[in-house]
Amino acid sequence: MTFSPRIVGFMCNWCSYAGADLAGISRIKYAPNLRIIRVLCSGRVDPYVVLTAFQKGADGVLVAGCHPGDCHYISGNYQAEKKMKATWKILSKAGIDQERLGLEWISAAEGQRFADVVNSFTQLITELGPLQADPQKIASAKEETADFRIRWLVGREKDLLEEGNVFGEPVEEAVFETLLDDVVSAQYIRNSILTVLKEQSMSAKELAETLEIPSHVVVEHLIHLRRGQKVHMVEGHPIRYEVSAW
Amino acid sequence: MSKSEPRIGVYVCHCGLNIGAVVDVAAVAQYAQTLPGVVVSRESTYTCSDNGQRSIQEDIENHNLSRVVVASCSPRMHGDTFMKTCETAGLNPYLFEMVNIREQCSWVHTDKEQATEKAKDLVRMAVAKVRLLEPLEKQKSAVNKAALVIGGGVAGIFSALYLANAGIKTYVVEKKPSIGGHMAQLDKTFPTLDCSLCILSPRMADIGKHENIELITYADIENISGYAGNFQVTVKSNPRYVIKENCRLCGVCAEKCPISLPDEFNMGLKKRKAVYIPFPQAVPNYYLIDAGHCLHITKGGCMLCQKNCPNDAIDFEETEAVRELNVGAIIVATGFELYDATQKKEYGYGRYPNVITNMDFERWVSADGPTHGKVVRPSDGAPPQRIGFIQCVGSRDEKEGAVYCSRICCMATVKQATMLREKYPSAEIYVYYTDMRTPGKGFEEFYQRGREHGIVFIRGKPGEIEEDDNHNLLIVSEDTDSGLILRNTLDLVVLACGLRPPEALEELAQKLHLSRSPDGFIMEAHPKLRPAETSISGVFLTGCVQFPKDIPDTVAQSGGAAAMAAALLTKDEIELEPVRAAVDEELCIGCGLCEENCDYGAIEVKKTEEGMKAQVIEVACQGCGVCAASCPQKAVTVRHFTDGQLLAQVTAALEPEVIV
Ligand SMILES: Cc1cc2nc3c(=O)[nH]c(=O)nc-3n(C[C@H](O)[C@H](O)[C@H](O)COP(=O)(O)OP(=O)(O)OC[C@H]3O[C@@H](n4cnc5c(N)ncnc54)[C@H](O)[C@@H]3O)c2cc1C
Ligand code: SF4
Ligand code: SF4
Ligand code: FES
Repeated sequence: MTFSPRIVGFMCNWCSYAGADLAGISRIKYAPNLRIIRVLCSGRVDPYVVLTAFQKGADGVLVAGCHPGDCHYISGNYQAEKKMKATWKILSKAGIDQERLGLEWISAAEGQRFADVVNSFTQLITELGPLQADPQKIASAKEETADFRIRWLVGREKDLLEEGNVFGEPVEEAVFETLLDDVVSAQYIRNSILTVLKEQSMSAKELAETLEIPSHVVVEHLIHLRRGQKVHMVEGHPIRYEVSAW
Repeated sequence: MSKSEPRIGVYVCHCGLNIGAVVDVAAVAQYAQTLPGVVVSRESTYTCSDNGQRSIQEDIENHNLSRVVVASCSPRMHGDTFMKTCETAGLNPYLFEMVNIREQCSWVHTDKEQATEKAKDLVRMAVAKVRLLEPLEKQKSAVNKAALVIGGGVAGIFSALYLANAGIKTYVVEKKPSIGGHMAQLDKTFPTLDCSLCILSPRMADIGKHENIELITYADIENISGYAGNFQVTVKSNPRYVIKENCRLCGVCAEKCPISLPDEFNMGLKKRKAVYIPFPQAVPNYYLIDAGHCLHITKGGCMLCQKNCPNDAIDFEETEAVRELNVGAIIVATGFELYDATQKKEYGYGRYPNVITNMDFERWVSADGPTHGKVVRPSDGAPPQRIGFIQCVGSRDEKEGAVYCSRICCMATVKQATMLREKYPSAEIYVYYTDMRTPGKGFEEFYQRGREHGIVFIRGKPGEIEEDDNHNLLIVSEDTDSGLILRNTLDLVVLACGLRPPEALEELAQKLHLSRSPDGFIMEAHPKLRPAETSISGVFLTGCVQFPKDIPDTVAQSGGAAAMAAALLTKDEIELEPVRAAVDEELCIGCGLCEENCDYGAIEVKKTEEGMKAQVIEVACQGCGVCAASCPQKAVTVRHFTDGQLLAQVTAALEPEVIV
């Protein structure tokens, strides 16, 4: 049998969900793979929920909201975009093709467009094949979507770009992107370390081998994690690390 | 989560053949019966019919159901219907969940097996969610039965009068010293050529003396908080330094005042003094002192006005006054600003004396204007014999930042050209246009009459205007109809400037949390069906602040805005949707991300005994859930769309065997 992907969709009540209704009223046919979850606004879609979908076996996740400027709640779709952009970065760290997370603007008047979007997204995911990501990587990525530093950066993006940093200098978009990239990368490694250590304690060298990253990088992050009291050392030879209860 | 195991009833609808022809309804209903917590599962031909609804209600009573799932059409279609069904039977309406197996299943799929599988999945997802739903109560909030109209142009004037005549206490706040707006500056109005002030000034006077209207002029909106039915507005009015009751309009003060300034009402074509009245029909009708230019206020001394006023009307002690208004509804009517023609360098406005704008023209042609209604060449006062109008100046011009058509300038030009024709029967009058747009009652007829009276319409926008030593204007243009290059030397050129959103609109929009469309005007709640409402409940919209329009359309929209405000204000209380954010203070660390990302100012981080904690202003919250998706602590969630509920749906969609 050919592969039939499992796709979860989050549609905002006011535009995209209504666009899906219009596709129905107009009897426009489209692929049956999508399972829609209605939210009031695309801005409600928490990257954590998106990663949970991937973790539970979704091959693709489609988030849809109103066109820019049309969000029923002013700027929810802009917020969704910020969050999904960060989620794309996080996904690629976990080795998941970014394209598996779709973000589309579909208005209540675009029944045909809704069907077209669903069809092309379904086809894309079919071509990408079943999601075969390492469960441990997905788990780390999921933890990362809940990470304070990333949420803080994403939540302050507009402010940083428009109003500026503490010196009142607006941050350039490119600089912001780099900053976010750095934080996402660092945080991804830390989450991976924590995910592995939750299973069993390990030395820095073993961690480096398991995660396939240079040991000096592992050590650097272990120092951070120890400072944040996320892990502690177990005396012995070699010194092993263990997750701290908190 | 409810303590005891929920008792769920599932109703799968055939919708006649609409669903039944594609989805195996019986199979879906049987499947639902196997899901945890489901105590009744039934098929129904038309669940929304009286019979269908009664069967749900009977089950709620007989089977003691604590949750209901209906799998039928879109919740946008019948969600409210079934919520009421539950409520009537004594079940909290928020313990209901709807599954859309018509619009999003049977109508869009053809393969019966696949459609049936999808319907089962969707039912399972709903059952997973409904188990976690919590009862919610609609809160009521008392309505403050007063209205605020911001802006006193024709839009604000008419909406205020409609409201006041319906018995509603109405405040009008106007930035300038007098109400009237741009219409007060117009000489005549198209297409009937009524005298503008003759039709407007009686209404302005009504505003001044209406028992239900309180007019606050020369004032700014400082702050707005609250929500539909209950807004608090802080208004600051500037001192006028003149006592209204004492001023008899004799004008002695202005005669004595040594400071002469450009008169804004006359587009700077006349002078006024530092103590002045904006125009004779101004409302309120008394003098004021322009503090920025008054010699006494800026440098000290002078006081000639006070010394000479026979009625002791000058009061230099007056200070600004700050007031709090409590209103239930707000109408935004702050109008437009004329495009600044000096931006369009190639036409030389501001450099060539004989290039004027359409608004300048209105003042030149007015009996109250600089020449008592004689249109002349500003450079030498001679009557013009060759006159050109250029359309779309600052409109339909991407380079100038406005791709839209300002809608009124074509007709304003036809009006002005017609008036010129009356005054100068032998003058040559040319109109350089892109497209003539005449969509309005009597507009096309008015335009055709203009053509019959020898006004020459040339399709093609001139690239540039040059001036000779005698201040004559040389225009080269291409007539795009004939392809000919036309050279014309003119005495006077009128620029048909477009309408722009007022400069201070951004600030006001932010105070009110209103969004603006890409053109910069305020965005209406729906472009077709809700043109006089905004995205914020209780805030309405009329006139050019929504988009350029003429006076009849403005007045019509004012009626609409007033009717909608009145519909809100005649209620004693309004029901507030309970789907709103809620904070778990134990988890909240007071980081403020929610506050920062909420478009409604509906969540605030406040000092509590436990430190800084976010608190939801329930009545302002719209339930969008942006805060919940931003919070790094999972401390804030939105009722009815909680993390737990969304995750349950996700899980049910993907792991059929697990239902939490
Ligand atoms: C040259 C020209 C000729 C025209 N000729 C015609 C015609 O012949 N026939 C016709 O039907 N239409 C004509 N129009 C269009 C007409 O002027 C508008 O339809 C009308 O003025 C719109 O009224 P309004 O109240 O929306 O805006 P405005 O007239 O701009 O009034 C807005 C009011 O709000 C006040 N305001 C602004 N910001 C604030 C604030 N933040 N707080 C408080 N108050 C504020 C302003 O001071 C002003 O008093 C013409 C327009 C132009 C430019
Ligand atoms: S975002 Fe979350 S933790 Fe931060 S203040 Fe708001 S509720 Fe509290
Ligand atoms: S749900 Fe939306 S409106 Fe309500 S507090 Fe959160 S962000 Fe603001
Ligand atoms: S309501 Fe559709 S994206 Fe916000």
